[in-house]
Amino acid sequence: MDWGNHKDILVFVEQAEGKPVNVGLEALAPARTLAGLTGGSVLTLVVGTDNAAAAEKAAVLCDGVLSVEGAAFGDGCTDAFACALEAVVSKYAPAAVLAGNTPLGRELTARLGARMGLGSAQDATALKVEDGTPVWTVPVYGGTVLNDVAVDTVPVLATVRSGAFSRPEAAAAAAVTAEAVDVPDEAVRSRVLETVQEISEAVNLEEAKVIVTGGRGMGSKENFALVEELAQLLGGVVGATRPAIEDGWVSRAHQVGQSGKIVAPALYIACGVSGATQHVSGMSGSGYVVAINKDEEAPIFDVADVGIVGDAVQVLPLMMEEIRRRRAE
Amino acid sequence: MEILVCLKQVPDDSVEIHLKPGTEEVNLDGVDSVVNAFDTYALEMAARLKEAVGGSITAITIGPEKARDAVKTCLAVGANQGYLISDPAFEAADTLGKSRILAAAVRHLEAEAGKPFDLIFCGREATDRATGQVGPQLAEALGVGLITDLVDIEQTGAGICAKQETESGYRRVEAATPCVVTVNKPAYDPRYPTIKSKLAARKMPIPVLSAAELDNVDPGRPGSHVVRVYEPAKRQAGVKIKEETCEESVLKAVAMMADAKVL
Repeated sequence: MDWGNHKDILVFVEQAEGKPVNVGLEALAPARTLAGLTGGSVLTLVVGTDNAAAAEKAAVLCDGVLSVEGAAFGDGCTDAFACALEAVVSKYAPAAVLAGNTPLGRELTARLGARMGLGSAQDATALKVEDGTPVWTVPVYGGTVLNDVAVDTVPVLATVRSGAFSRPEAAAAAAVTAEAVDVPDEAVRSRVLETVQEISEAVNLEEAKVIVTGGRGMGSKENFALVEELAQLLGGVVGATRPAIEDGWVSRAHQVGQSGKIVAPALYIACGVSGATQHVSGMSGSGYVVAINKDEEAPIFDVADVGIVGDAVQVLPLMMEEIRRRRAE
Repeated sequence: MEILVCLKQVPDDSVEIHLKPGTEEVNLDGVDSVVNAFDTYALEMAARLKEAVGGSITAITIGPEKARDAVKTCLAVGANQGYLISDPAFEAADTLGKSRILAAAVRHLEAEAGKPFDLIFCGREATDRATGQVGPQLAEALGVGLITDLVDIEQTGAGICAKQETESGYRRVEAATPCVVTVNKPAYDPRYPTIKSKLAARKMPIPVLSAAELDNVDPGRPGSHVVRVYEPAKRQAGVKIKEETCEESVLKAVAMMADAKVL
């Protein structure tokens, strides 16, 4: 691949409540692979009103941090973010621009692509280098089919899936450089009036070692409590399928699947989950899968290491009793 | 309010899609073509807005002749008129190319009607490739505002106020019209057609817009190419336990979990 004068790899690291989001830091790993190809540096871009904490976290994982600060970036207005990204890309002429595949990461790469006439790979789960060309693996059709995709334009644009890459090893802190970006009034076409926090619990499915997920088969909010109890017993995190969330048993922060979180715990226990593609594609990277379902034909059994044919509402109390008994021994 | 809804025809997403064995060809035999689910949410949101404030909804899609069915479906559930954008020159277009084609169609339809669209709705992503690029890229191509991931919308004095879903709740975002919005799953479901609305839709013309009508817009060369297509490694199905009693099944399963050292 001909990189021309483009060498550096720019990674947009999004912040949430003053902290860098995990998937942004994870994107620094494929960035390092790309920098090996181009002979350039890995640069992190942070944009916000106070970037100090995020810049410090990122600085030990890359070769330089570019920090764009200003009041214009305060309310989460994406127009201002798009301006900042475009300005920094114009100045540094990177060989690639990466971001996490979050709503903001998708939007910013889309807008940058439109402004500069670039192709992109979205939601990449792996990066290979073939004859000097970066090749990204992207899931299609809900993850039942994979495409290996090469981006033909420079800078290469890509977003990466949460949990697909491990963040790089920390090293000595790189320099943080302030970049001034002026956001013209006419570039800001929308305004955030209010930000409402509906879900206060911190649900970290992506980094969980154990996930216990409940689906429609749990039958009711009361029964869903059994899922929460088992998760607690195992020191795990509660997951849920879309039907369980739509029935109001648990908040959408717990959703596992194509439209929720993609997870890969060491142990995944699916309770009353049928195993629809949308769900399975979000958990098939799990280490050991246990499935409990009344329906012997449920597709979840096709991906389970151990399947129990039975009503999860009956099975879960017995399972907890047996686990407690073994622990007491 | 003049509303445009952009939609995509996709394989039915309730069906698991696989490759034809030993090939890189996606097997769509027997899989119905449907309107992308997020586009049906967009149309429903648009229809509710139109019912609240008045106006008209135009539905457009880019695709081959059979994509006409997708437009027809929309005419039965809220769209007032529909167009099929179809031309061999558009077949290879990527998301950026499609946004350029859609922008050209917007300009064409606005010139033809003699009035601009106030709002352009897109689904947040299509269920087949799920890249979520076309909406934002269309806003860029048109040089108008953008709000993504809507779960509700209302008209205001200056334009619109949108409820945008976020990871931990929602934001209320205001924008002047014209603007592009992308729609997530709202709290309501799309309406079903009635026999009467289906019959009426069947009689409505769906004109084709080709490159010639769209000022010979150039979608450009795709910015990426697919190197190979394959299926992910399958998980091996393990043991399915169905003992006489639930207790026995559980004891056996927990013993296996303990042996695998996952407890």
